Amino acid sequence: MKRSSGRDNSLSIVFGVLLLITLLGQALVGLAGYNEAARTDGLAEIDLLRYVTSSSFAVDVAENWQSEYLQFTLFILLTVWLVQRGSSESKAPEDAGFDSDEKERVGRFAEQDSPAAVKAGGRRAGLYSYSLTLVMATIFVLSWAAQAVAGRVAYNEERLRDLLDPLSLQAYLVSPDFWGRTLQNWQSELLAVGSMAIFTVFLRQRGSPESKAVGAPHSETPA
Amino acid sequence: MKLAKVLFISYLTMIAFVLTAAFVIGGLGR
Repeated sequence: MKRSSGRDNSLSIVFGVLLLITLLGQALVGLAGYNEAARTDGLAEIDLLRYVTSSSFAVDVAENWQSEYLQFTLFILLTVWLVQRGSSESKAPEDAGFDSDEKERVGRFAEQDSPAAVKAGGRRAGLYSYSLTLVMATIFVLSWAAQAVAGRVAYNEERLRDLLDPLSLQAYLVSPDFWGRTLQNWQSELLAVGSMAIFTVFLRQRGSPESKAVGAPHSETPA
Repeated sequence: MKLAKVLFISYLTMIAFVLTAAFVIGGLGR
């Protein structure tokens, strides 16, 4: 098959485009909901630009982002040690833990076309060997913090409508609103990961790298 | 790998932009 740049990157491109479409959809639907509530309360309606730069929209985006990045951070890190025999998402049980330098192609096993950081060795190579987890974890922490900062403002706006005092950030961090938003997202992500790990033992999707070969025995753990 | 690098930077930039905006919006109390 002919190599083409678009085709070689279709996964990242298509998901990126779908993200932008759904984010726009979320903004439009969120604006409609916001204005509906404003009308009910006899308050002024706002336009799209005001809505996408509001804490209401920011907290809704951030709370979902943090849970996705927490999910991937945990999944990337815990699958170093935890296994599910027969799952396409797991290493073989006997391979649990860190792999050898030879298998990881680091240190004296680095190759000509290995990433520059690996060939540089030392601390730089050490840092690079955790770079995926570090970046995913950083996005998780920042998204969760953004959820707290924007969530407090959005929640205080609701409280003011009910003639209640606004909460400080400290008070918001232990409020049911913050933890309700957080935990409802976490539980769904954990369910998705856990069920994916066990479902791929017994179920298949022909052609998908997320699945074992259709004819692979249930007990076989690939890779 | 050229397009892959563009996509990699685009995703990171978009994430950084949205999160920075969320902090600014929350910080301003909008």
